[in-house]
Amino acid sequence: MKIKSIDIVMGILAGVLLSLMIYCNSIVAKGSTPLSASWFAHLVGMVVAFFLIILFARKSNTIHPENKMSRAPFGAYLGGIPGALTVVLASITVNGSLKLSSSIALMLVGQVFFGVLVDVLGWFGIFKRKLALLDYSAILLILIGSIIVVVFRP
Amino acid sequence: MIVCVFLALINGILIGASRAINGRLSVDVGVVRASFWNHLVGFIFLTLIIILIQGVGQLTKLTVPPFAYLGGAIGALFVLINSYVFKKLGAIKTALLVISGQMITGVLIDYKSGHALYTLGQCLGIVLILLGVYLSKNASLKLPQTKIRVNNLNSANFNTSLEK
Repeated sequence: MKIKSIDIVMGILAGVLLSLMIYCNSIVAKGSTPLSASWFAHLVGMVVAFFLIILFARKSNTIHPENKMSRAPFGAYLGGIPGALTVVLASITVNGSLKLSSSIALMLVGQVFFGVLVDVLGWFGIFKRKLALLDYSAILLILIGSIIVVVFRP
Repeated sequence: MIVCVFLALINGILIGASRAINGRLSVDVGVVRASFWNHLVGFIFLTLIIILIQGVGQLTKLTVPPFAYLGGAIGALFVLINSYVFKKLGAIKTALLVISGQMITGVLIDYKSGHALYTLGQCLGIVLILLGVYLSKNASLKLPQTKIRVNNLNSANFNTSLEK
């Protein structure tokens, strides 16, 4: 199955947006706390998403499967909880004994490791995917490259 | 210190989990609604956490520069795009691409703040990352190694078998 360039670009764009979002939130957090900043960011995001629904997705983009068995379980609506928890954990580790670059590197490893589990074991209802040699190489290259970038931070 | 290592790893797992859960939800309700639910549930959860741990008093000290609104809006977009890419490419590639985007942005920001010496070293990392991104585009996760025809090294054939 061919991978489209546009999807690759979207993936990288998501990373760019995430960096910008973290940057904005960190500025707000300076005036208060990371928790408050994230709380407010979630509030704004909720409102913005709501308007996006009205503007672009009012007609059902919803593809609720007819068959009840293949519908997402209730837990699928709880994705916001681990997302919010990362802010809590990040605040704890920042004041801990770990260097910032190390904690970032560990977070990257954790993400990719979890991604491997999800893809290979077919968790969360997605299709199982087998890893080829090129995939391992891509994982290694990006992880090592990222660690180099983080280590060489001014 | 070992606790911090553990927590940082867990943090990464949580990021991957929220990505996967929202991706799964977006299969049912679409990416925009998935972003909405993510933010709503996260907001409720954070409200509880703040009430329990931080105390509501801190919230009144919250100064909201125009910046803040941008952060939240970008967040809504981010979850949306993240879910889309997750549906298309799966967990690993999404994680790798988002990480790559973060690193590239980080280096650009560092370069703009004028630390040229360091960014030279970072460029090496970026080269590796871009190479990895290129490889991940051209690898098909569905092709197990055994299906590649090793006896026929004609590159034209090799490419077509990957593209199909």
